[in-house]
Amino acid sequence: MAVSNQQNGSAEAPIDLANPTVVGINFGNSYASISVLNKQGNPDCIANEDGERQIACAVSFHGEEIYIGNQAKHQLVKNAQNTITGFRNLLGKKFSQIDTSKPTTSAPVIEHPEQPDTAAYKVQILQSAPLPLPASTTTTQQNTPLASRVATPRSEPTPATRILSVSEVTTIFIKSLLQSAEDFLGKKVQGAVITVPAWFTSEQKKALEDAATEAGVSVLQLLEEAGAAAVAVLSNPTAPASTTTSLSGDRTQLVVDLGSSALALSLLSIRQGLIHSLATLSDHTLGGDAIDSKLIKFFAKEFTKKTKIPLTVAPAPADSKQDQRAEAKLRLAVEHTKRTVSASSGAATCSVESLKDGIDYTGSINRMRFDMEVRNVYAGVGEQVKTLVSSAGLDLFDVDEIVYVGGSASLPGLDEHLAGIGFREDIVTPFSSGSVVGGGVGDPTTLLSRGAVVQAKLLAGLGESSEEEKEVKAAFHEKLENWTGVKVTSKSIGLVFPETSAEGQEENALGGQWIPLVLRETVLPCRRTVRFGVEVGEEGKVGFELWQVDESIKITLEKPPKFEPEDGEPEEEDEEEEEDIEVKDRIISKDELLGAALLESKKARNKKTTLEVQILIAEDGKVDVSASEVGGEKVTLAVPPIGA
Amino acid sequence: MAHIVELSVVPPPLRSDWTPPQSTGKSIAPLVERRLIPAGSAYLAHVKRAVHNLSFEEHDKHAEEERKRLEALYGNGTNGEDDLGVGDEEETEDLLSLDPKEWKKQDHYAVLGLSHLRYRATDEQIKIAHRKKVLKHHPDKKAGVAGETNDDAFFKCIQKAMEVLTNSERRRQFDSVDPHYESLEDEVPTEKEVKSAKDPNSYFFKSFGPVFEREARFSKKQPVPLLGEYNDGKEQVEGFYDFWYNFDSWRSFEYLDKEVNEGSDSRDDKRYTEKKNKSERARRKKEDTARVRQLVDLTLGLDPRIKRIKQEEKEAREAKKKGKTGGANGVSAKQKAEEEKKKAEEEAKKKEEEEKVARAEAKKAKAAAANAAKKARRAARADGADA
Repeated sequence: MAVSNQQNGSAEAPIDLANPTVVGINFGNSYASISVLNKQGNPDCIANEDGERQIACAVSFHGEEIYIGNQAKHQLVKNAQNTITGFRNLLGKKFSQIDTSKPTTSAPVIEHPEQPDTAAYKVQILQSAPLPLPASTTTTQQNTPLASRVATPRSEPTPATRILSVSEVTTIFIKSLLQSAEDFLGKKVQGAVITVPAWFTSEQKKALEDAATEAGVSVLQLLEEAGAAAVAVLSNPTAPASTTTSLSGDRTQLVVDLGSSALALSLLSIRQGLIHSLATLSDHTLGGDAIDSKLIKFFAKEFTKKTKIPLTVAPAPADSKQDQRAEAKLRLAVEHTKRTVSASSGAATCSVESLKDGIDYTGSINRMRFDMEVRNVYAGVGEQVKTLVSSAGLDLFDVDEIVYVGGSASLPGLDEHLAGIGFREDIVTPFSSGSVVGGGVGDPTTLLSRGAVVQAKLLAGLGESSEEEKEVKAAFHEKLENWTGVKVTSKSIGLVFPETSAEGQEENALGGQWIPLVLRETVLPCRRTVRFGVEVGEEGKVGFELWQVDESIKITLEKPPKFEPEDGEPEEEDEEEEEDIEVKDRIISKDELLGAALLESKKARNKKTTLEVQILIAEDGKVDVSASEVGGEKVTLAVPPIGA
Repeated sequence: MAHIVELSVVPPPLRSDWTPPQSTGKSIAPLVERRLIPAGSAYLAHVKRAVHNLSFEEHDKHAEEERKRLEALYGNGTNGEDDLGVGDEEETEDLLSLDPKEWKKQDHYAVLGLSHLRYRATDEQIKIAHRKKVLKHHPDKKAGVAGETNDDAFFKCIQKAMEVLTNSERRRQFDSVDPHYESLEDEVPTEKEVKSAKDPNSYFFKSFGPVFEREARFSKKQPVPLLGEYNDGKEQVEGFYDFWYNFDSWRSFEYLDKEVNEGSDSRDDKRYTEKKNKSERARRKKEDTARVRQLVDLTLGLDPRIKRIKQEEKEAREAKKKGKTGGANGVSAKQKAEEEKKKAEEEAKKKEEEEKVARAEAKKAKAAAANAAKKARRAARADGADA
């Protein structure tokens, strides 16, 4: 249907529901990324005009120029005093709350001279001289000479000092991100979802939103990073068959966000798309910077070994300008090395021109050596993961899926290390499902922004015509607290189909086949429908009991299977005592019988029929179960609400 | 829709001694407070249910309605571009194996998939049909396909068809000799067919109606009065025949011209061909005019409406007459006398004639009697002489 063109109207174009022009911004402390929706409406991470998908959060002032992004990072070598990095974490904080004791490699944080207790940066810039007056156009008096029509030449720019508050820097940076997105889309951006870390306070969120609004972004939502990651994974349009089959809609997901400046862990419970966090943890000592430090130490040692020039880095001695500069150069160079290690299994090189005393350096490191160097970081992450999971009262065995976020999490060594600390063998990680390579859905560097844009698309489609629709929209942004507080089940509920235990077999703790319906940590109200085949007994009846169960993990120690060498060749030196292997099993034990029902099967064929069971749990804990053969009569079962 | 999880587990048959245990009346374990992460469509659904205070079933219904509304609004997956109902005609084997060198013989409408529209196709439709065909048959699309790699014959046909149909002059030339209609032209119903039909009346309109509809496209004057129906008035019928006897057609036959042999430089040759073409065109045009005339003649001859109108006119006349005789009482005596006089005169004349005839007959009889007497006397004489 043709839309009538209004000649004199200035009505805004209606939002195209399939493809609204919204962006998702992952605004990290060190790097940011932007995602938009492609023609199919799927999220795509875009590169900025430098061709960078990972845009460094840095702003540098050099003379009359401002460098933003990765160009600004290069300024850290020679122009560190005028280069601002790591400003996101300072957003919304008072100057007195900021720890300024640590030495920095970039512009130091100072107190704003005019605004009290505000963090700011002081940079030296060249201020362009004011433009000359426009040439006079007035007609002159008769005897006075005509004013020259040639513009007065511009005078030289004058050096000046500029004080920038943290939010001003953020505004400059977000403006440049927005510009990149608009250049890519060719359209004005209608709204954006920006990710924030879980530990951001409401003041920090407000400061970020204000800065973004100042930059001309209409913020649809500030989305928790873990949520963005989960949304990106859940909304995956091209999920390979292997991941969809092994993962149901109900799962426990561990989000490992190893950025360059911090590690953030979140344990999420995803129940049919509803996400809530079981536990979070963040550690600012682990991250890409720690890996960098280890690497540059390694390369500096190599350099010294090769050239006999002493070089001390990480930290460089305060009195040696040369070493400091060499460290800055190495830091820039190892970025490339890290990316090579992530992408390929071969050796990665690191080359720096004129590292110290005019000597160039080129060295290489292979994956093994790399993993050895940064093992401490991996181990630190592993320890934190264990702490987190146990703090949620779960076992590593309960985690169904790991999602990696952040540049440093792209390192395959991390995944290998985590796989060895006691997770299930069939745990799904982006590496195991092969979605990391080639900018796949599991790509840790772009995951957050892609999740943010998926969320933005969802929000852009919301109407605002009625009071209730406004309320729904507000549930994402202003009035979060009204809606996010929910009640969840503390124990799993499911069906037990009693069976005759075979002679000699160990008695099953449940006395039958267990079919889980509602797992623990499921948000109420909830509804689940399952369908399965069931064998019908002699009398043509199907009976089941509704149970609430306890789950636990049983750890048994087993002897590893011994290799039986053939031909009787005697084994030689490796006669060490082999360690017992921990074998974990999920144990389900009955807790409370909630009810039972008997169903007459009328449609059984070959003693088999298909049963459909629906369970509804209301917010007050009232349970309704209805079971029927497909298309047949229903048998219902009710459990009174809690406290009734 | 409620999401149904299919499970692959198959519980074994019921234990024979199992009876449903007594309901314990217990509730589920106490609930735990958690904080949702406001993300994803599931959260949206959750909030919607809470805000609108809907149950799961009501929400399902709502979502379904919303989906349908959006589908109707934006079309199902299409970008809402209207193709004006062209471009999905089947392509037969014959059509695809057309030779672009023989483009004059191809049916351009069929090539573009417009054979259901033909001369009725608008420029916009032709454009869309062409775009669709090109998208499908462009040689670039076939580059990777196994088999003949350089098969762009049909694509050339498409381009040729487009070339002809987008130029209004050339399109008319082609329309003039459209092979589809030429074959139909021979199928004009004959007199015999109409007369032998069960219901000649309706057969006439059924068979001649489309013929005139077809011919109407050539008229310079539009709209063209069409055959109409049995109950049309005299004026309409007369208007129809008036128009068609003065039919002004734009039909021309340049399309069938023999091409001047490009290779030959001979001017004479060229002129000869041109002359021949010209005369051929004129001949065909004359034939066509004659054909239309013949058709109209035939129609007029068979038109049941003409008979009906004549009949009606006659009836009208008679009714008029009857009306006159029925109301003769008031006619003047003079007229009556005149009429009687006329009658008398006529009668006198009749009498006179009758008398005349009688006299002549008497005369004849007299002569015959005299003749007979003569004969008798002669015979007596002859008898006496013999004796």
